[in-house]
Amino acid sequence: MIVTTNLTKIFHDKKRGEIRAVDSVNIECKPGRVYGLLGLNGAGKTTLMRILSTILKPTSGSAKVAGYDIITEAEKVKEKIGFLSSDTGLYQRLTAEETVSYFGRLNGMEQNMLTQRVEEIFDRFDMNQFRGRRVGKLSTGMKQKISIARTFINDPEVLILDEPTIGLDVVTSRSIIHFIKESKQSGKCILFSTHVMWEAQKLCDDIAIIHKGKILEVGTLEQLQAKTGLADLDDIFIKVVGE
Amino acid sequence: MNIRKVKIIYFKEILETLRDRRTLISTILIPIILFPVLMFGMGAVVVMMMKKTEAEATRIALIGGEYASSFVSTLLEGDDFQKVEVKDFEFALKEKEIHAAIEFSSGFEEKLTLGENSEATIYYDGAELRSSIAKEKLSGELKDYQDSLVAERLRERNIEKSILHPIEVKAENLAPKEKMEGFMLSMFLPYVIVILAMVGAMYPAIDLTAGEKERGTLETILVTPVSRLDIATGKFLTVLTASLITIVLSTASMSLTASLGFARMGDLGSEQISFAIKPLSIILLLLLMLPLAALFSSALLSVSLFAKSYKEAQSYVSPLMFVVILPAMVSFIPGIELNWGLAFVPIVNISLASREVLLGTFRWEFIALIFVSTFIYASFSIFVTKRLFEKEGVLFRT
Repeated sequence: MIVTTNLTKIFHDKKRGEIRAVDSVNIECKPGRVYGLLGLNGAGKTTLMRILSTILKPTSGSAKVAGYDIITEAEKVKEKIGFLSSDTGLYQRLTAEETVSYFGRLNGMEQNMLTQRVEEIFDRFDMNQFRGRRVGKLSTGMKQKISIARTFINDPEVLILDEPTIGLDVVTSRSIIHFIKESKQSGKCILFSTHVMWEAQKLCDDIAIIHKGKILEVGTLEQLQAKTGLADLDDIFIKVVGE
Repeated sequence: MNIRKVKIIYFKEILETLRDRRTLISTILIPIILFPVLMFGMGAVVVMMMKKTEAEATRIALIGGEYASSFVSTLLEGDDFQKVEVKDFEFALKEKEIHAAIEFSSGFEEKLTLGENSEATIYYDGAELRSSIAKEKLSGELKDYQDSLVAERLRERNIEKSILHPIEVKAENLAPKEKMEGFMLSMFLPYVIVILAMVGAMYPAIDLTAGEKERGTLETILVTPVSRLDIATGKFLTVLTASLITIVLSTASMSLTASLGFARMGDLGSEQISFAIKPLSIILLLLLMLPLAALFSSALLSVSLFAKSYKEAQSYVSPLMFVVILPAMVSFIPGIELNWGLAFVPIVNISLASREVLLGTFRWEFIALIFVSTFIYASFSIFVTKRLFEKEGVLFRT
């Protein structure tokens, strides 16, 4: 569902020169599984996810998401994915319902289908009590629910979630973890980045450790444990990145 | 381009813009209230102050008053002048104890009676309005006194008073009424409308680009299956709408205010001027403003898209205001007229053409040329905006 081949992104910075934010990355995420990207801040997780969601173009290499090429078939890719990150904000002056409907319409949904889908989603995420209120007036937890609803409106095959629990309280992050598990059960392919080790340990079927743009290790938790001789993902991570 | 998606984005942006207080103030409220406030508010205050100043007794100091006793006694007869005793008239003038001082030369009236000439000096402070008025009033009184003396001397010599004015100068204004009315407005209407077209587009443009970057919503829209061109077009049309609304509202408000304002000025004593711009002038004016609004909208979008935050965008846009204000001021310069060269200079051409449209002296070929040239500039600017929306370095500038 997500396959990358030598995906590379180079930025040019006046002070620091050439930065290889993503360096020859090869990953493969399959439907019904959660693929965890583990890395420190600035490891290249966000850049990789932005490339996969077609916001950024790779410098070299290629990738297919849901069977479509991210460069030549970007629009198709965007129809198939749900992208959520701490940087994807919401329109403060729209109501919860207007927000979700807006993204549904942009995804090409017809009015009848959209109305039905909005009802479904508002019931499912228990959002009916604030559906008519403006986003700017809502709590962080409510906003996060709207963000998830927005990501989910087009029933995407692939979910790309960039540190979706960062800065959230326990209750809200639990609801997100729950949502990821549910999505996995319904056969979606999920690429999930975090630097919270216990989250990765709890959720991910496959784990990739990314450091300075490069994937250093990939495998299931058991495979990583066997390879490093360590039990805890914290220790495994530190050993692999060597810091 | 996907028209359906552009429409979806456009209507959402309009809805959000209508819910933004800053935009509502700059796009709708200011163009409506600016002219009435300026015309009636400021005008009324100025007229009131002037009347008050004129009605107040003018405090004067007399130097050598004993040489002009009969003139002084006439001067102090009414309530217009009040005599103030001071030691140092210059100090008193500086301290505003007096409005002016008048000095009579030695033997002032005595010499006049003998048929000789005398001298009177008025001391005043040219930087003080009341002092200047005092000077005018005193000069007036002296002139009246002088006229009566001249009349007396002529009578003594049996000479007709008309000998002093062998030529009677008459002036008659042949400008048609419509041109006269247009003249008043043509000076400042183009300038104000050009500026407001910019102001109306400013906040929506910043809000829809740098504002979205700041709030993280730009990334949200970029991951939806909508092309960058559609996003840029939707945003451009929203900003253009705001600018056009400002133009229409300000033109309407200004025309109405002017018609009421001139009627009021008529009441105040000057010649009654009924005000009516021809509908054709209004239509042409709005037509000329259309490509200009498009040019402003796309330029503002480009500049503010480059900024990382709302504040940064504001600091880029403020100097841009001067780039607009200076060429727009050309409508105030009476000598400059449209020619083939100026018709290609953006903003200057619109400002001059609007003035001529209001005066009713425009040439169609210039109007067409200006419309087309501004349209071309706007198209280029829109192209730049579109390219910027495709640049990662601009959208994700860190």
